[in-house]
Amino acid sequence: MLLRTWFILIVLTIISVLLAEYFNLALSQKTVFIIVVMLIVALKGQQIIDIFMELNHAPRKWRLLLMSYVIIIPSVITIIYTW
Amino acid sequence: MSQEFILMNSAVLNATAISPTKKLPGDMAMWFFILAELSVFAIFFMGFAVAEHLNATMFVQSKAQVHPIAGLINTLALITSSYFVAFSVQALHKNNTKKSVHYIFYALFFAVVYIVVKVWEYTTLFDQGITIETNTFFTLYFLITFFHLMHVLLGMVILIYIAMNAKKGRYSQIDISNNIVEASQINSKNTISGFESGACYWHMVDLLWIILFPLIYVI
Repeated sequence: MLLRTWFILIVLTIISVLLAEYFNLALSQKTVFIIVVMLIVALKGQQIIDIFMELNHAPRKWRLLLMSYVIIIPSVITIIYTW
Repeated sequence: MSQEFILMNSAVLNATAISPTKKLPGDMAMWFFILAELSVFAIFFMGFAVAEHLNATMFVQSKAQVHPIAGLINTLALITSSYFVAFSVQALHKNNTKKSVHYIFYALFFAVVYIVVKVWEYTTLFDQGITIETNTFFTLYFLITFFHLMHVLLGMVILIYIAMNAKKGRYSQIDISNNIVEASQINSKNTISGFESGACYWHMVDLLWIILFPLIYVI
């Protein structure tokens, strides 16, 4: 499980960097790019919280509290950038 | 202490403290500290995003001067470091202290990689004449990344501390399989809670970088 999470995190990181390279050529698609990158951030955050921090075995409120951080912050950042 | 009391405490432990399901890893105090740290960084993230929104051209030009490969290496280093810390906790759950300490040292190695790359990055920027006063982007860049670097250093101190304690045998998983535990185990802090707290702090440092990296280097 840990190895799978590590692999997912590495792959998602590389994907976001490759996307940056691609979207540099097409600035008009920046909104889509920011949404995708922030979705990747939320996914990576979920993996760290659930698997590395082991909050998938923690009381539900604590898991939700931490999960809300990796959902709200990227969402707010997306709104600010795409406003 | 009577056998009856020990059995009673064991039952309580079974029901709550070390129940395999729905247990918050580490100490509650550490989690409040983690929440406070996350809140502070949330303000930094918002501030950075708003500043970029207000100074879009300057931020795009300035971002071209930072090194995305350095940011990528640091992301990979912190993720791998966190992976080894998580492995270390699992090893300690199985009472394999030696393996647990080894994994912490692997995690520390990748933390050192992060620091070396970060120092190289700062040095390269300074050589180009870029400082904290260059513009708003670099003010925020140095403030946020240096603040994060301080957390990495504190995290490393915590990792070294918990590794040393583990080596001294101060953390061990209480075996409650037969419902009889030593009274000293029930009343002392001889659990892995402290170790888990340190590990969760390190994962928080990783979590913050996961947001910081795209904000500064990718978007």
